Amino acid sequence: MCLGIPMQIIAIDGYNARCTAKGVMREVSLFMLQDEHIAVNDYVIVHVGYAIQKMTEQEAQSTWELLDEMLALESAAFGE
Amino acid sequence: MRCWPWSRQHSANSFVMTITAQYLLSKIKELPLARRVRIMNVCGGHERSISLAGLRAVLPASIELIPGPGCPVCVCPEEDVYQAMQLALQAGVILAAFGDMLRVPVNVAKGEPRSLEQVKAAGADVRPISSPREAVEIARLNPGRQVVFFAAGFETTTAPVAAMLLEGVPDNLFVLLSGRLTWPAVAMLLNSGKPGFDALIAPGHVATVMGLEEWAFVVEKHGIPAAVAGFTPPSLLAALYSVLRQFLEGNHFLDNCYPDVVRSGGNATAQVQLKQALCVTSAKWRGIGIIPDSGFVLATRFERHDARKQFGEYETEGRKRVGEMPPGCDCASVVLGKLYPNQCKLYGTACTPRAPIGPCMVSDEGACRIWWASGVGAELLETAKG
Repeated sequence: MCLGIPMQIIAIDGYNARCTAKGVMREVSLFMLQDEHIAVNDYVIVHVGYAIQKMTEQEAQSTWELLDEMLALESAAFGE
Repeated sequence: MRCWPWSRQHSANSFVMTITAQYLLSKIKELPLARRVRIMNVCGGHERSISLAGLRAVLPASIELIPGPGCPVCVCPEEDVYQAMQLALQAGVILAAFGDMLRVPVNVAKGEPRSLEQVKAAGADVRPISSPREAVEIARLNPGRQVVFFAAGFETTTAPVAAMLLEGVPDNLFVLLSGRLTWPAVAMLLNSGKPGFDALIAPGHVATVMGLEEWAFVVEKHGIPAAVAGFTPPSLLAALYSVLRQFLEGNHFLDNCYPDVVRSGGNATAQVQLKQALCVTSAKWRGIGIIPDSGFVLATRFERHDARKQFGEYETEGRKRVGEMPPGCDCASVVLGKLYPNQCKLYGTACTPRAPIGPCMVSDEGACRIWWASGVGAELLETAKG
């Protein structure tokens, strides 16, 4: 299963949010953050389709970069 | 299997990150470490960052980084995988499971299907999913069929399963839950008298959900330095520097090196949801045994969605090695940090990501698969750990 991925919220409809991570769109549940103030443009950390916490833009950028680097290394290792 | 669909890109942040990581590394190298210090992590994500960033190679030789119980797929009971396979073979059933679970092998006689992938090949309707929301969607789109969601995972995955149940699920959705808590496995190691580590890097996203304080027992009860870390090299190096200084100075406290996301108290809403939908119970860990208060089961109010209650057990009489790892596989010792992946005699020879024997070589969070991905081959076999 997936590890935590930072995403930015681009639209909110009830507990559902349309989120993006570097151009990739996903529907994400905000059910676990229903007691937080969440707004469009906020960054959240997403686990298996559920936002588990808010995060800063800086932390999101650092993590995206790490994910990129690891994906490249793994692709090289598995020849995929 | 691939969680990150975007291509390799560089952001403006990379320069800053490198400077921070190198500064922390130089601070660690300045520490007067007179003897070996063993630091355990208990998160597949941490192990992945450590291995793929090559941190072991650049840290002083006296610092040992040990991958511990950080892979929920690896410890998911063999009986549960077998049950999921039997349910998938029932007429009309759709079995949804996280993709990692599909290749986990069970112990069956030669010639019989030994994984969800193989029962799928034999005609069963097995669907890999990446979110509980997909299981709900499959059930909605197939009202005439029974949909079983086989949900293995630690707190970060099990809390979303609780949220899914509370948000409301169709009558034809059943959950085969193999959720586990992380801290009881660490408590078991510490209580054993031979934990095998001198300091702990606590899991960042488990602490995000469950709260920083859940890990205080490591410091307060056992006197072991601990720090919660995030997943970037600077955050991991900050946590390593913290526990090493604690170790040297004898001033132990629970540090938070992922303060952007990990808060005191964690995600209180998620914890309430876990309590409303699930109960904590003693639970089996594959190849390890029963660990007290380490598993989740569905609360009585969700009984009609509990696959264990609605379908019963599916154990075949006379099946051999029930609950165990495959023959010759050292995954249980690898999970507990007693052996490094490349100390298993199957690693890289009989067991590779293309033809995995043990679950640690199957899962993206398994130490064996991570080490293989980061280039540790069987030829690099190290001397046995002391």
